[in-house]
Amino acid sequence: MQIEKTFQVKEPIEQVWNLLSDPRRVATCVPGASITEQVDEKTYKGAISVRVGPSTTDYKGQLQIVRLDPENHEIEILGKGQDVRGRGSASMKMTGKLRSLENGGTEVTSVSEVNVVGILAQMGSRVITEVSNIMFGQFTRNFQAQLHQPADAPSAEVKPVSAASVAWAAAKGAFHRDS
Amino acid sequence: MAKKQLIQVKVNGRDREAQVEPRLLLVHFIRSFSGLTGTHVGCDTTHCGACTVLLDGKTVKSCTMFAVQADGCELLTVEGLIKNGKLHPLQEGFKEEHGLQCGFCTPGMLISSYALLNKNANPTEEEIRWGISGNLCRCTGYQNIVKAVQYAAGKMDQGGKDGLPNIA
Amino acid sequence: MVFQTSPEIGGMGHPIKRKEDLRFLQGKGNYVDDVQLPEMVYGHMVRSPYAHARLKSVNTEKAKQLPGVLAVITGEDLAKSNLAWMPTLFFDKQMVLATGKVLFQAQEVAFVVAEDQYTAADAAELVEVDYEELPVLVDPHKALDPASPILREDREEKSNHIFHWEVGDKAATDKAFEDAAVKAQVHAVFQRCHPAPLETCGCVADFNTATSRLTIYLTSQAPHAHRTLFALVGGIPENNIRVIAPDIGGGFGNKVPIYPGYVCAVVASLTLGRPVKWIETRSENLQSTGFARDYHMTAELAATKDGKIQAMRVKTLADHGAFNAAAQPTKFPAGLFSVCTGAYDYPAAFCEVDGVYTNKAPGGIAYRCSFRVTEAAYLIERAVDVLALELKVDPVELRRKNFIPPEKFPYKSPLGWSYDSGDYDAAMKLALDTVGYDALRKEQQEKRKKGELMGIGISSFVEAVGAGPAHTFDIAGIKMFDSCEIRVHPTGKAMCRMGTKSQGQGHETTYAQIVAQELGIPAADVTVEEGDTDTAPYGLGTYASRSTPVSGAATAMAARKIRDKAKKLAAHLLECSEEDLDWEPGKFFVKGAPSKSKTIQDIAFAAYTNMPAGMEPGLEAVDYYDPPNLTFPFGTYICVVDIDKGTGEVKVRRFVAVDDCGNIINPMIVEGQIHGGLTEGLAIAFMQQIDYDENGNVQGGSFMDYLLPTAVETPNWETGKTCTPSPHHPFGAKGVGESPNVGSPAAFVNAVVDALSHLGVKHIDMPIAPWKVWNILQEKGVVN
Repeated sequence: MQIEKTFQVKEPIEQVWNLLSDPRRVATCVPGASITEQVDEKTYKGAISVRVGPSTTDYKGQLQIVRLDPENHEIEILGKGQDVRGRGSASMKMTGKLRSLENGGTEVTSVSEVNVVGILAQMGSRVITEVSNIMFGQFTRNFQAQLHQPADAPSAEVKPVSAASVAWAAAKGAFHRDS
Repeated sequence: MAKKQLIQVKVNGRDREAQVEPRLLLVHFIRSFSGLTGTHVGCDTTHCGACTVLLDGKTVKSCTMFAVQADGCELLTVEGLIKNGKLHPLQEGFKEEHGLQCGFCTPGMLISSYALLNKNANPTEEEIRWGISGNLCRCTGYQNIVKAVQYAAGKMDQGGKDGLPNIA
Repeated sequence: MVFQTSPEIGGMGHPIKRKEDLRFLQGKGNYVDDVQLPEMVYGHMVRSPYAHARLKSVNTEKAKQLPGVLAVITGEDLAKSNLAWMPTLFFDKQMVLATGKVLFQAQEVAFVVAEDQYTAADAAELVEVDYEELPVLVDPHKALDPASPILREDREEKSNHIFHWEVGDKAATDKAFEDAAVKAQVHAVFQRCHPAPLETCGCVADFNTATSRLTIYLTSQAPHAHRTLFALVGGIPENNIRVIAPDIGGGFGNKVPIYPGYVCAVVASLTLGRPVKWIETRSENLQSTGFARDYHMTAELAATKDGKIQAMRVKTLADHGAFNAAAQPTKFPAGLFSVCTGAYDYPAAFCEVDGVYTNKAPGGIAYRCSFRVTEAAYLIERAVDVLALELKVDPVELRRKNFIPPEKFPYKSPLGWSYDSGDYDAAMKLALDTVGYDALRKEQQEKRKKGELMGIGISSFVEAVGAGPAHTFDIAGIKMFDSCEIRVHPTGKAMCRMGTKSQGQGHETTYAQIVAQELGIPAADVTVEEGDTDTAPYGLGTYASRSTPVSGAATAMAARKIRDKAKKLAAHLLECSEEDLDWEPGKFFVKGAPSKSKTIQDIAFAAYTNMPAGMEPGLEAVDYYDPPNLTFPFGTYICVVDIDKGTGEVKVRRFVAVDDCGNIINPMIVEGQIHGGLTEGLAIAFMQQIDYDENGNVQGGSFMDYLLPTAVETPNWETGKTCTPSPHHPFGAKGVGESPNVGSPAAFVNAVVDALSHLGVKHIDMPIAPWKVWNILQEKGVVN
């Protein structure tokens, strides 16, 4: 399933690029995610907790920077995780692109391909899409907040997406289809 | 594990109490703690209605409630329909009109129909079908169940009150 | 010749009310989950989230430490006793608990046993399984691609191909097609669906350490076969196993296979010495138990230019899931699919079926399918309609022109079946008259001028039931006879037991009516028991509409043995010879002197108190019946639909079902069966599918997505009947339970296609959901 999102920030492109190309800092913007260790220059180990309704799934896996292009401000990462209790897996290939805006700000575009296998996927795309939408919404808020902080400031606490907001959004999503 | 709680529920006119985990489903309280196995579990997404009981006069799917939510309430299950060995007109109707085959949906159907007839003593066929639309049946195709409810409506029209728990 | 008994006796033809209803109406049925035994514990299955993966490790430590947990069984544990795999009912084996790899989402991986079901579920969450994902195969058409993963490493032949089966005369058929003036072809997919009886599968396995006997309360449609299989696979002496199938909340084929949960519960009980209850959830039921259909079929018909069918050619791809667990007679890898030549008389046909493995749950034979007759009937009835479109003739006329005429019975079909009897035109005529066909066609023409969409769908199906003769039919080697044992008590009441097992079909009433018919003992005085293998005579169970044709026949034959002995007793009591006696239901009387008579009750009493010298006391008999042939019920169904041009919703305006199942025991019960089966056909045609995405995730794994019709979606069914008795059945009956599921899907689909055929539509695959119709309307430019 492909998800494309775009959002704008006030900060200039180089500042945004510094954040976007730093996996440790970007990971803190993803709700429920954390980087646990760096394996090599391009590979990190991490974890993410995803809550859908009352059930939480904890994924443990790897994040790899597949491509880093500072000149064109493009990054491609590949994340793969397995549910620690063996109830499924998820993988995501994401391409992030930055574009300078006339007002001095930056437009951030991400195109992600998400694949979920397991019990979560039985609910079908209607729930997965909603979960992704909510997670992305929270990500952009966290990302923007991070931009306002200097690079060495302590990172915000990572909390998984709240169950209530997911359930409500999924229910709404069942009635409004825009795809 | 959460601490057990004491609940008191009047089931088919009889006071029952038990120490239950807060997460114990009402249907399990009915089936295991009260030993009334007429109420059935047919699904896990609250669709089938096999677990339908009457709680303080309203139909509820007992698989989607916790027993602790029924504390202090009055429950009517299928076992409570028969009075002094005499079948309720609905039970009679289901027999006369062949409204059951495997019998698994029947308790839920009886409770839903019971609630329907108490709200609407002379429902049209459409109203009956809507009234039991929360109860799935795989065997009968519903046609004879509709006839069974019509039979009971006719009987109760002649017969008057049936002495069962007072419901709104 | 069927005597008409009085309503008090209640023999054949009487719509007597059901004897079993009383307990169900009071909530006092005894289903497997109602069984409560002292010291009983609960099992919960841990299942794979992956469709295809290596099983690297199963860590049960945390689960075992949870208070209240008694055991956690893994595939490795079972492997030590050679139980990690078990044979399926069709020459394959299936994993009980996974070892090495998993092959479908929801496959069984570990079994937790705990003091209560909540603790068992908690512990299941604590089992940690390490998987390594493998590429997934869900498209059966790709199963034989070299690029596709090979699923079954345990098989010698490393291929996803299970079998190739063919029947018929290929040369003659090919020639007929070469010479044909007209040809029609349809590619019809019968989608994977699931019978979903309201009661899920489960068991209570109770090994009694004091007696060394294992009692298994089981949701079983075939208790004796299950007992024998448990004995053979488990190595437990068969006399020490008792299978009790108590009240069953619907079967529809779902309760024929042996599932891993049963085996795990038995193993757990043998190990712990306590009763172990395992009841699956609805999601488990839909995702792992025997599915139905998944046949991808192409049918071609060759005809003359005036519409006489000359030949049929069929090619089918069968998706069997990860293991071949299709429960069908051993000589038939594609079940009775070769009855696909249908109700029509033509000389040549050829049919081939290829079965393949995919990463899906195993199964295939279920949902009132009569061993694939549902697929066969759907195919021919769709093909005939496509041919009618090709020929530009009325689909009724085309059928009537090609029906096998009554004088040709018993009819040898081009694929080898011997149809016992039939009068297809009579059923068609009754259906046409009942629905008012000509007026409907006129109405359709008028509506078309106004742009309104209305369709009429016909289905003239032939069924093949009552498996079956020992020379051809066996399941897992056990021949498909069936049985009945009757014992008449001194006071004239009777008790009988059969080898079949009702799951709602009303056997406690109908079998009693057979006895009433044959012996004149009132049905109310006849107790019928099924399902306890300690007491019931051996039988193959109830599915494929076989109870009336086989066990019903055994009942009649056993009763006739009793009647023969009763005649001797009557002669003794009346002091005459047997030749002087005549019979009417309930009594023997002296020819010409009817007042000199003895009732069956008098005779029963005499069997214990006043026997003639040399006669064995008692009045009982047992019969094991080996049917000489299958029976072939049939019918014509006509469906009228209206389509909403704004939403694509199809409304069934009328449905007339004329069935011919020969002589009927209880018309009220037959009608109930038809209502139920038509409702299942409606669900299949419009609502149901178990689908898998490209990662092997089940879509349709709960009632949120797998839809069952409620009373609101279900129309009123109009039923009618004709009667063409089976010449070889003791009382001319044929069986009927599955006919409505066999005949109706084509009627629904033919109606929808008929509503849209003037727009160029030739075929729509099921389920015909509103969005599918809407897309067609959109494409044709007629959306409102």
